[in-house]
Amino acid sequence: MELIKDINKKVLDWLDERYDARQWIRENLTEKLVHKHINWLYCFGGLSFLGFLLQIGTGIFLMMYYIPTPKDALASVQNIANNIPFGWLFQRLHSIGANVVNLLVMFHMLRVLYHGAYKKPREFQWVSGVFLLLITMAMSFTGYLLPWTQLSYWGATIGTEMPGATPIVGEWLVQLIRGGVQITGITLTRFYAIHVVVLPLTLIGFLGIHFLMIRKVGISGPM
Amino acid sequence: MSMSIKTVKDASDSKRGFLKLLFLSVMTVSFGGVIYPIIRYLSPLSQQQASEKIEILKDEVPDGKAKFFTYKGNPAVVIHTKTGFTALSAVCTHLGCIVKWLEDKNEFQCPCHAGRFDITGKVLSGPPPKPLPQIAVAESGAKIVIG
Repeated sequence: MELIKDINKKVLDWLDERYDARQWIRENLTEKLVHKHINWLYCFGGLSFLGFLLQIGTGIFLMMYYIPTPKDALASVQNIANNIPFGWLFQRLHSIGANVVNLLVMFHMLRVLYHGAYKKPREFQWVSGVFLLLITMAMSFTGYLLPWTQLSYWGATIGTEMPGATPIVGEWLVQLIRGGVQITGITLTRFYAIHVVVLPLTLIGFLGIHFLMIRKVGISGPM
Repeated sequence: MSMSIKTVKDASDSKRGFLKLLFLSVMTVSFGGVIYPIIRYLSPLSQQQASEKIEILKDEVPDGKAKFFTYKGNPAVVIHTKTGFTALSAVCTHLGCIVKWLEDKNEFQCPCHAGRFDITGKVLSGPPPKPLPQIAVAESGAKIVIG
């Protein structure tokens, strides 16, 4: 115990000398003051972020065994869920977690709406939040196709059919999203790339803006 | 007076110690509960071996030819020589590449660093430090039984 304390102190001293670590910890963690009115309703934003981190973690593990081809996609998901040790855990955490994250994001948004927290000076907080909601939903939609089941196939068919109602460019838009006239293996790899690279990176970018702004402006005051 | 203060201090110390221990145990268990599934998930599946022995038809390995197969998860090779069948591990003892059989030279060559092995697995030249391990072979009727 004494040894751990000693090492702890030395590390902190070292960091302190260079980066004012203790002061940073005091200001941002141990002595950070928040409004007295803060209650559990204010947790949904942080919980959404926690859920997102969990999705990243479990998603990376799933990627290690998932095969994004029409021939192997379903079999590889079944292999993860049935054969790989604890694969069921990561697969279910990821698919159920996606629903939970959507719920948490909605609750977070409802809280902000109810408290009027989107008003000046936090308008862009709301705007970036709307983008985050859209990206979260796009994440769910693209991820839904990946197991390549009947449900995912027809779900993706219906979902990608909808932009077809856009005037003039509708038809072209549908084919652009699908990478063809119908949902095929090209759609699968396309959705996979969007799901694991494009959307997460975009999401992290918007999260950065979202967080930096709230640090600057502070959490909204009492109603 | 000083006695009673000391007693109170001791009591609070032991309570704090107990809580610390409790906290650390809960943390350890939670941490283990996360780490254990991850390690199990990432560990390769134990190879399903129906049996330790592998049977190959003699017709599949004509005189002078070699046949590669998987033995206990690793590449192995059986060659048909004038004296009979020989089975060897096909993993080069240098850095683990798979050796190939050169029929005209009657020897194995590793494509990675040009290690050469003779028909019994002995090193002829190149960097390999050890011969290719032999695997037991038995003939039974029209089959070769390896292992």
